[in-house]
Amino acid sequence: MRSITFSQAVNEAIAEEMRRDECVFLIGEDVAEAGTPFKVTSGLVEEFGTDRVIDTPIAEPGFMGLAVGAAMTGARPIVDLMFGDFLFLVMDQLCNQAAKTHYMSGGKLQVPLVLRTNLGATRRSAAQHSQSLHALVAHIPGLKVAMPSSAYEAKGLMKTAIRDDNPVVIFEDKLMYQDKAQVPEEEYFIPLGEANILRDGTDITLIGTSSMRQVCESAAELLGEEGISAEVIDPRTIVPLDEAKILESVKKTSRAIVVDEGHQNFGTTAEIAARISEKVFYHLDAPVIRMGAMDVPVPFSPALEDLTVPTPEGVAENARKIVAGELVHAL
Amino acid sequence: MPSEVKMPQLGMNQDSAVIVTWLKASGDKIKSGEPIFEVETDKATVEVEATADGYLTDICAGEGADVPVGNVIATIVETKAEVFDSADEPAALPESASGPEVDIASETNPKQAPAAAKPATKSKASISPRDPAIANQQVSRPSTAEKVLASPKAKRLASERGINLGALRAQGVTEPIHTADLARAGTGGQSSLTAHIEGYALNVLLDRSEDGNRTALFAAFAAGGWRAIYNCDHVTVALREVDGTSTLLTNPDRGGNGKPATTALTLVDLCDTRLSGFVSASGGVTLCTARNGENYVLTLSFSESSLPMVHAVALLDTIAARIRDPIRQLL
Repeated sequence: MRSITFSQAVNEAIAEEMRRDECVFLIGEDVAEAGTPFKVTSGLVEEFGTDRVIDTPIAEPGFMGLAVGAAMTGARPIVDLMFGDFLFLVMDQLCNQAAKTHYMSGGKLQVPLVLRTNLGATRRSAAQHSQSLHALVAHIPGLKVAMPSSAYEAKGLMKTAIRDDNPVVIFEDKLMYQDKAQVPEEEYFIPLGEANILRDGTDITLIGTSSMRQVCESAAELLGEEGISAEVIDPRTIVPLDEAKILESVKKTSRAIVVDEGHQNFGTTAEIAARISEKVFYHLDAPVIRMGAMDVPVPFSPALEDLTVPTPEGVAENARKIVAGELVHAL
Repeated sequence: MPSEVKMPQLGMNQDSAVIVTWLKASGDKIKSGEPIFEVETDKATVEVEATADGYLTDICAGEGADVPVGNVIATIVETKAEVFDSADEPAALPESASGPEVDIASETNPKQAPAAAKPATKSKASISPRDPAIANQQVSRPSTAEKVLASPKAKRLASERGINLGALRAQGVTEPIHTADLARAGTGGQSSLTAHIEGYALNVLLDRSEDGNRTALFAAFAAGGWRAIYNCDHVTVALREVDGTSTLLTNPDRGGNGKPATTALTLVDLCDTRLSGFVSASGGVTLCTARNGENYVLTLSFSESSLPMVHAVALLDTIAARIRDPIRQLL
């Protein structure tokens, strides 16, 4: 099978869907000629023209509102939000309008909109361009949240999201755009709400979203060398969340670490850990460990920034402790 | 003339107050109107003033003591020579001045007393000699009341397998106890105790009763014995028939009413056979009843890690006492 980069996969998904359905259009800052700062949408304006690949002024609330209106009236917009940090600018359009319209119109209106944006630190972009804010939107009923963890997921989830009749927010890790993975040439879809078990294990379940999937896989490698068998699960979407697969795994292993790049406080890790604790409590042989980003604004200093995100070594260290029966985070 | 310091009435519905701090010590010279101690009512903390000049002595309620209104808690004497030197004798707190520790002791005493008394008064059955030290040890630390730090899974499995976590800890397993530690409970095999009991009273009772259900009576005696040792609300006895079937009886000593609990013990009644005993190899506690002419033979098999020897002796002894003197149990 061929290998392509994460950004090529996203590009292919958008192009295929734009070819198939003329209602699909792309809008955002620098999406046309510049092809976004990450070169994800390069080449699309040449094929589809400036009517369907629309560069906007630096006015996130404006173009987000425009896209919500377009979606309500029959179009299928893909909104490109250059940095996940800019979500704060589009909160009303996204959370008060897009998320609630289908419900509040008694089902008469739909908002088939995809908001693609990014997350991830360690790109030396400082505190306002390095946040992972998916928990913020995952909290709002009416929004689906996808977190592709490789080029394969990026394409399959994007195609499903574009065809979904509800607003879907896709968070891509900006450090993964150049990572390659095997992606079939033939068309495929990844359903929203279907987790992927990447590695079978018996001693501990490592649940990792987005780029933290790789962190968990590397941790599992380290642990495997020491005779600890770790199961690795990528939820792929956190709304809807494939709870059944996660719970089933934890029932088998009795231990879990949830790893995510959002801040740990009140975050995605907390939600998943809580569901495990609530629903398979009597199968747990150790406290469920959350590992999120440190609860500080992401530092610009490279040396400090690297300390704020979970690492394979850190995950392996916690895994070792709880498998050995040592209390982690004991009171 | 000495003047008594009493707990004042500080509120309309106040029956007692807690002494927060003594502002003066025994032997201190005090003046009328000077604050000498601080009390806390349900509404406020108040300083209480001396009502006479002299020297403070005979303080008989310490800090933290909850003292009924009107009780004497100290004395003010006229001369220093009259001051009672508490260093000469240990100060004995009157009952009314019971501190928190005293409360706890008086609360546990009633529980301990009957449990200690029962085996002692009913030890006419065949287990002998009876060591009073065993009874004391058993009642002072009923293992079900101890809180053992263990993982949820370990607790669940321990309860399913009839493993006593307190006994595991006593065996030297460090807390928190994890699933892997439960394996240590399996070692050592089953122990058994045997009792030969005069059957006259029971046989008369069975002959006179209408249905004469001997097995049900044994189940009631077993549950009653368990309750006497462990002081629990609900006792479930599993009745294992010789044809291989099993029935669960909850609170058979209380007419079968109440919530089903984890099986406390398994009863095997061999009285209708020519067999004289059965020792179960399973981890649980099994009571086997058999006939020997007009008399009965009881065999209690148990794993010492789940039922400590002292508990087992007290349990079989109290069950034996009930069979020997069934009227006492039935009344």
